[in-house]
Amino acid sequence: MRIIRSIDIPSGSSLACLYREHKIEYPKFFKMDTLCKLGFLATELLLEGDSDRFVPREDRAVLMFSRNGCLANDINYEKTMGDYPSPSLFVYTLPNIITGEIAIRNKYKGETSAFLLEEYDEERIRSIVEEAFQDTVTTSAIVGWIDCRSESDWTCKAFLVEK
Amino acid sequence: MEDLIKELKLSIIEALNLEGMTPDDIDDNAPLFGDEGLGLDSIDVLELLILLEKNYGIRLASPKEGQKVFQSIAVIAQYVTENRTK
Amino acid sequence: MNKRVACIGYGALTPVGNTPAECYKAADEGRSALTLHTGTFGCANPFVASLFEDRSAIADDYTFFDSLIIRAASQAIESAGIDPASGRVAFVLSTIKGNIEFIGKQDISLPASAARMARYFNNPNPAIVVSNACISGLAALVQGRRTMLTGKYDYVVVVGAEVQSHFIVSGFQSLKALSERPCKPFDAGRDGLNLGEAAAAIVLGNSAYGWELADGAIRNDANHISGPSRSGEGSYNALRYILREAEIDDISFINPHGTATIYNDEMEAIAIDRAGLANVPLFGLKGCFGHTMGAAGILESIISMMACDNKTILPTKGFENLGVSVPVQVSAAKRSCTGLSFVKLLSGFGGVNGALLFKKGGQA
Repeated sequence: MRIIRSIDIPSGSSLACLYREHKIEYPKFFKMDTLCKLGFLATELLLEGDSDRFVPREDRAVLMFSRNGCLANDINYEKTMGDYPSPSLFVYTLPNIITGEIAIRNKYKGETSAFLLEEYDEERIRSIVEEAFQDTVTTSAIVGWIDCRSESDWTCKAFLVEK
Repeated sequence: MEDLIKELKLSIIEALNLEGMTPDDIDDNAPLFGDEGLGLDSIDVLELLILLEKNYGIRLASPKEGQKVFQSIAVIAQYVTENRTK
Repeated sequence: MNKRVACIGYGALTPVGNTPAECYKAADEGRSALTLHTGTFGCANPFVASLFEDRSAIADDYTFFDSLIIRAASQAIESAGIDPASGRVAFVLSTIKGNIEFIGKQDISLPASAARMARYFNNPNPAIVVSNACISGLAALVQGRRTMLTGKYDYVVVVGAEVQSHFIVSGFQSLKALSERPCKPFDAGRDGLNLGEAAAAIVLGNSAYGWELADGAIRNDANHISGPSRSGEGSYNALRYILREAEIDDISFINPHGTATIYNDEMEAIAIDRAGLANVPLFGLKGCFGHTMGAAGILESIISMMACDNKTILPTKGFENLGVSVPVQVSAAKRSCTGLSFVKLLSGFGGVNGALLFKKGGQA
């Protein structure tokens, strides 16, 4: 496995500004929770300028890692729960929705998986990604350690890797 | 009716996170779903059901019934005028 | 080196049974604990679910969820006869919401539960969590199989569980996904799913005997985060992958997701048909256990293995009249089969789909 490109989104950056700076047109972005916004933007930045984008493909996996998953958004949903539970917040209370958003945007029909680890563990992540390449269809992957501790405090590293 | 239409547009923009849109961007008669118009989806329908209940005291039985009401802003406004309890 | 990845120990706890054998007996006899709950968890609206009555913990400092995963893992470890404290054993936890009932009150992160489980068994390796919506259990088995194939471990203990709560029930209600009656998988009158609680575990090891976890695949629809693809795209692609070298004639049955939502069951029928399996019998288990989320992939795989061992295709509780557009062979009543091989399917939010292929081994 080799890393082709990598990207970092510093904690606390304005994600809406980043979206506009890169002239992205995808109104659904504003419906996403912070975790998905980070995954979406990180992938946009990783793939910016690629000529073969948005062509449906099955050979690229999306593998996301974190400690807290979607807990920052769980708190938002929990606030609506006793009154009018919000379906649009509830759909983001799953740690793997970030992988689905990236797959939908990029038309990736390959594997998508979300893993949670107690801490950032490069060796562990590397071995899980290498194991994912046992699937003979998978030849590349978007990999991220995207951990949202709150809506303004996160670690966001993402990589494009090849088998 | 004019005021209600504007009020509906503002609350829909807020409830559905339609970033960067203003009431003037939404045509009163444009379809809300599908590729034309606002392009709303099934989750948006559910949020609109809540909006009608919360703001106007209207309880629709199912998303299916909602689909009939949520054809356009004008249709929603008409429905709200006829059925609101608050 | 023997690379056959086999299921060498099981554990299962559901509201209808405290062991895999008891859970199987309930499925075989068509019993369920699906009942109407009013006011449970403080939910404003009533709901039908399969919930544990005894919610006791193994000790004061363990939650009910943490207790469940440890109990299920203990059963599987004991039946496999392995030493969980060995550095050659890895743990994989599958869950969607873990300890969510305690949101805002304590550390409810999922890896913290996995770590407590590993510590309980004095296992030195960092446990990983697979949280892939409703296919989590299946995805955890795929991950466990891959880890086994690297040869770095002798055994992988794959554990899945879900405990229900106000959080989950109100969320599914907000999506209008729940039926107000016991669910009816693949039936013309189906109108939604029922939630369920369960914990289940499988120990994977290299063995010539027992059920082989022969292959697995995960594929995304790339269509919508909460609605399945109308063409069954991801489920079909996952099936196509696991069947590429399979003997179709050996497949005794398919155990699909079969949640009894209108869209899920229709999508699965289309995917099964597209994969050329429309004539293979299928039975769903949600009418017995409800949708047990993070446990489903593991629990339903165990029940399916036991059904094959008994050369039996189980009935689909709640099913009467076919209500999907493709004539798939949904089993309404118990019948016999060769029990050589079966396919397990799941699909979930995030557009994710999974398929597993199980093959019978030699007799010990």
